[in-house]
Amino acid sequence: MKEYFEKLKGVLGNKVKDFGVDGTEYSVLLVDKKLLKTAAEIIRQDFDVLFMLAVADYKPKFELNYVFSSYDKPDTIVIRTYITDRDYSIDTLTEVFDSANWEEREAYDLFGIKFNKHPDLRRILLPEDWPGHPLRKDFVVTDEVRNWTGLDLKF
Amino acid sequence: MENDEEMKKDEFSYPGMGEIIFMKTEKFIENVLNWGRRNSLWPLTFGTSCCAIEMMPFGTTKVDSDRMGVLFIGDSPRQADMILVSGTITKKMARRLLNVYEQMPDPKYVIAVGACNVSGGLYHDSYNTIHGIDKIMPVDVFIPGCPPRPEEFMDAVRVLQKLIKENRSKAQMDHERIL
Amino acid sequence: METLKGIRLNVGPVHPATHGVLKVVVDIEGDTVNKAQVEMGFLHRGKEKMAEVRYFSNYYPIVDKLDYVSAINMEVLYASLVEKAAGIEIPPRAVYIRTIMAEIQRIMSHLVYIGSIGEDLGNITGMFWALRERELLMDLVEEVSGGRLAPMYMTTGGSFYDLPQHFDEKAEKALVRVETKINKDYNSMFTKNQLFLMRTKGVGVLDRYMVKKYGITGPNMRAAGIDRDLRKSEPYLAYDKVDFDVVTGEDGDANSRFMVRVGEILQSIRIVRQCLRDLPEGPYVTKTPWLMKIPDKRTFVRQETPRGEMAMYMITNGGTQPYRLKIRSPTFFALRALEEILVGVKVADIVVTIASLDPVMGEVDR
Repeated sequence: MKEYFEKLKGVLGNKVKDFGVDGTEYSVLLVDKKLLKTAAEIIRQDFDVLFMLAVADYKPKFELNYVFSSYDKPDTIVIRTYITDRDYSIDTLTEVFDSANWEEREAYDLFGIKFNKHPDLRRILLPEDWPGHPLRKDFVVTDEVRNWTGLDLKF
Repeated sequence: MENDEEMKKDEFSYPGMGEIIFMKTEKFIENVLNWGRRNSLWPLTFGTSCCAIEMMPFGTTKVDSDRMGVLFIGDSPRQADMILVSGTITKKMARRLLNVYEQMPDPKYVIAVGACNVSGGLYHDSYNTIHGIDKIMPVDVFIPGCPPRPEEFMDAVRVLQKLIKENRSKAQMDHERIL
Repeated sequence: METLKGIRLNVGPVHPATHGVLKVVVDIEGDTVNKAQVEMGFLHRGKEKMAEVRYFSNYYPIVDKLDYVSAINMEVLYASLVEKAAGIEIPPRAVYIRTIMAEIQRIMSHLVYIGSIGEDLGNITGMFWALRERELLMDLVEEVSGGRLAPMYMTTGGSFYDLPQHFDEKAEKALVRVETKINKDYNSMFTKNQLFLMRTKGVGVLDRYMVKKYGITGPNMRAAGIDRDLRKSEPYLAYDKVDFDVVTGEDGDANSRFMVRVGEILQSIRIVRQCLRDLPEGPYVTKTPWLMKIPDKRTFVRQETPRGEMAMYMITNGGTQPYRLKIRSPTFFALRALEEILVGVKVADIVVTIASLDPVMGEVDR
């Protein structure tokens, strides 16, 4: 586990921080979100797929947990990074990991995070004209939302 | 009328079975039509989620729907008499459900299966489900349960047959739609 | 006059053969598909948002409806997640009970797969047979838990009830029946039926390269020849104490996906038998408080469900509810491959290809 971190640190220097086994998985914090693609390219040498992308909303910042997995080894690694600025955007990983495509679309759909240079950034689960991003913490399920039948949706 | 008394004894009897009867022609035609309608209810299986898996045992062995005249053939809205809305209807799906419902020929009957379609059920605080499909379309029979047992589908069909016989289904009460 | 190049066809979401509410938009020229686009979300019920307002113990009924064809596997996954986060050890009898029930549910799930692919091929007798065998196992689940499709059997720390008396005899009776049916009757209906082989051989090929590209797991991956099973590689319940083989295919087409699942049913029967033999005595649950608080931490659990590697990532912040629960659905990744493998197939094979991936929209849309 440690060797993956050393490999990352060799290129990125002190822009990465080792959490060790945080919770139950080996996690690495990426200080600068602009370095995500560089880090992903290094990780691609050892891991095959983006296993899942777990986004959490800590208003006003977003936390993104990229879990990578490999087909030959049982290892997983979590890369954690934060989006703090107001434009809610981060680089896409689709060029490095093809399996990131729909996971990023889902994050765009439910959280409204924009992935720069994503080839097909549309909503995936909800209709195109669905108002709001439901998994944000400031989206409250009011009676108005509950009683809405959705028949006026254009899509 | 005497005949009504006679008919109530056996649910599956039809007018004229073994006896001479006197009734108005209109009433006779209506009785014969209702007899035919209630004993050959071809369903349109609108299965979206969990309840659809319980609908499969309803149509196959053990709980055999064929003996009630509910034949799972066609699966086309154009040939269906009733629609079994089994499973959660989301806001994205609502328009599609109405679209299918409108394509069915009259008279059409609706059975809403599962707690989601009765009142929202487990998803009563979800942002993307419809809390009871009676908000968007007329429903004849509700089946509670999450998901209901296959036997309860059977019970719902019996209830619907009774409603049709007594001219109390939503489609029959709306006379203009069925001439 | 302008010649019409091709037509655009919507398969689903209201289509009896798309296994729920999947929509595939295909561009057809002649009888061949040129382009396919998958659209989903018709069953998005917002389960991840609802986790944030439910207590840990109140979320089990919703977990049941994630993958409603194999509900016990979902319960085991969520129970493991909460136990891992709260640091609860479960007694050895509970471990075995979970293994037994999870494998019985896996057999039932694969039987639904066999039945539905039979239905899609017009082989409706196959569906009747598969569901007949499933009802035998459903009776077991019903006897154990009291529920059918959504059993609500697992709880944090073990299971709600102990196994009933003489469960092993009844289970053995049902398993023998399923085993003989699969070894004898299903050969004539599926595995050696010329019509079935013609319809499935070489259809919808998912090779190793595509599996790794899309992140596909589970039987769909093993059909392409990759020998990987979380039950073997990172054993979680009693899987390190039982003896079973990982079934793999070679071609990666619809037929080998089918054969892998048939093989897995036989392996699951082996596991259940061994577990029933070794079932230890003792308590079946560690008593846990109904309302519990889990400290600030992140928990990741992944397990091998009938559809592939399902995972949950939970962020807790010391409260009685999760701060965020993310569910990784295996068929969500597998469906993306449809956009590639549907290109070039005939219209009649679209249905077979979709059915052979075994999507359950409850877990895809969540």
